[in-house]
Amino acid sequence: MSAEAEFAPSGFSSVERSGRSAGNIAAAALRFGSLIAFAAILIVFSITAPYFLSVGNIGNVLGQSAISGVLAIGLTIVLIAGGSNVVTGGIDLSLAANMGLSAAVYASLTQLGYGDAVAIAASILTGSLIGLVNAIAVVYAGIVPLLATLAVMNIVAGLELVLTGNTVIPASTPILSALSASDPFGIPVLAYVLIDFTVLATAVVQYTPLGLRLYAIGEFPDAARAAGLPLRRLLAGAFIASGVCGGLAGILSVSYLSGSTTGSGEMLLPVVVTALLGSVFPRRLVPTITGTLLSALLVGFLSNGFQLLNISSTLVSGIQGLLILIVVSATTLLRRQEA
Amino acid sequence: MSLTTTKAANAGLHGVVAASLLRYGLILALIVVFAIFSAITPTFLTLTNLQSVLVNNFPLLAIISIAMTFAVASGGIDLSVGTAMDFASFAFVSLVLAGQPVAIAALAGLAAGALVGAFNALLISVIGVSPFLATLGTLFIGRSVQQLLTNGGNPVYLPPNGVPEVFRFLGHGTLAGFPVPLAIAIIIAVATAVMFVHTRFGRITLSIGIQPSVVRYSGIAAPAYIAATFVLVGLIAAVGGLILTATVTVYIPSSGNAFLLNAIGATFIGTTLSPLGRPNVGGTILGVLLLSIVANGLLLTDLNFYWQQVGTGTLIFAVLALSFINRKAGSGA
Repeated sequence: MSAEAEFAPSGFSSVERSGRSAGNIAAAALRFGSLIAFAAILIVFSITAPYFLSVGNIGNVLGQSAISGVLAIGLTIVLIAGGSNVVTGGIDLSLAANMGLSAAVYASLTQLGYGDAVAIAASILTGSLIGLVNAIAVVYAGIVPLLATLAVMNIVAGLELVLTGNTVIPASTPILSALSASDPFGIPVLAYVLIDFTVLATAVVQYTPLGLRLYAIGEFPDAARAAGLPLRRLLAGAFIASGVCGGLAGILSVSYLSGSTTGSGEMLLPVVVTALLGSVFPRRLVPTITGTLLSALLVGFLSNGFQLLNISSTLVSGIQGLLILIVVSATTLLRRQEA
Repeated sequence: MSLTTTKAANAGLHGVVAASLLRYGLILALIVVFAIFSAITPTFLTLTNLQSVLVNNFPLLAIISIAMTFAVASGGIDLSVGTAMDFASFAFVSLVLAGQPVAIAALAGLAAGALVGAFNALLISVIGVSPFLATLGTLFIGRSVQQLLTNGGNPVYLPPNGVPEVFRFLGHGTLAGFPVPLAIAIIIAVATAVMFVHTRFGRITLSIGIQPSVVRYSGIAAPAYIAATFVLVGLIAAVGGLILTATVTVYIPSSGNAFLLNAIGATFIGTTLSPLGRPNVGGTILGVLLLSIVANGLLLTDLNFYWQQVGTGTLIFAVLALSFINRKAGSGA
């Protein structure tokens, strides 16, 4: 879409340099703009809904965002390694269904009398197997990710129905209760889980050579290949990592909902939005783990604030849609200016 | 994907076989699936059953998938085809309920769908948002708007006996021996297939999808064509919305999204498995047929209902994997 980008001889003209610095200012404006918008939303809600800015409520939002946050972080890893083109590049549509199946596996195993250790292992295994199937389909069979993960999504959603018979399977075990509890300050354990997971994922993706390589194969696959990076293995690894995130989110959702429930597919589009929206926070406007966390929290705070203000929850989806469009339009216009 | 030509030449006879397998991959897949279901279920290969596939499963998905084919052909995708259906359906039902003539209501429905397309066109062509994100935004906003219009998502029913005759005809009548929905699907398929190949608009849209830079260097205003494409996508999807409403005589908010993933599936199956290797109406129709036959065949087996979804997914996955592996091993493309 960026028409001029192909024309531009890579940077030696002074004109371009000045254009780029103007672009940098604009990009900074957007970045701070989005952070300011985030802060403004928090301020408006905290003035209109007094309970909003209490520790307990912030903890609640973090806890409620844990499931979608973990899923969106998984998707972010695929976005990083697969590149920014959503159709031919990185996308994993099977994540929400993955969470549903992993949750169903967990709940079914506890119903059969197995302990937490087995159930946790089985959920993670389920998630990573789904990731592996995606990886094989995309990397080795060469199916475009959008299509491959769409087919896998159908299979996984079907398997969940087979396993649960489209019913709710209750589950309650020591670890699930511990996860869904709150600490003495009233902050849900899930909030800590989200923060810990984000820290871990950030450490790996943003601060290790492995993470840099993921960015390299996503943004400049040819250069990465020339540099001798194992493209296929890295991309396959990204899909498997995303699958593991699905499994983890499954465990979290079993604890949050005290069992496995139907309708996990509803999570798909919000998660895609969260992950895509995340690229507006970092400096270079690329997907990052922390950016995704911020966007998950933004969405979480929005729905929470609406609930506290008694505004119909039907508006949340519309506002999410508007947010994507505003953010993406702004980013696109800026990039155009930059190029 | 990027095997060298020497390798392809070395593949020799194997390559020729693989290439021809790929060439007719979709038809072959259809025949195999057809044969399997004929063998394992006694009722599949009966006239009434095949008719029911064509009447019940096929037309709506075909229309929505053709709309999707245009979006994909222009190098994008449209995640809001269901939204266009819903808006068309809502306008249609509301005006019929308000006592307007069916023709006026139907026109308003088409306009509503085209409006959704125009919104996408604005975002994509004027602002320059990527089609995936633009239409994703439209999908979300559309969902909210529908809930606001219907007091939080209540269906709008038409009284069964108060429905005008024309309305009933659109959903359940016959035209020259064909059920009306099927006839409309066929007309749209033929018209769009001709449009793709024989009109300037169709050829330029395709070229934008295949080689956008060439189109730009030729001095063609690509954004204008892309905008027109997305309006057309909304319009075609709106036709689907009208037929859906006329068949079930109710508008259910956000019900059009049920077609989204299958339409994407059919379009991409048609694209990847056809000898053309690019989005085309014929391939899409075969893709829709494949999906419809698989859904119907699995329904006739004694398989548990939930296993059917697994079966559908697995079959599609297998067809895709085979074709891609085939292409890699054989043609060297």
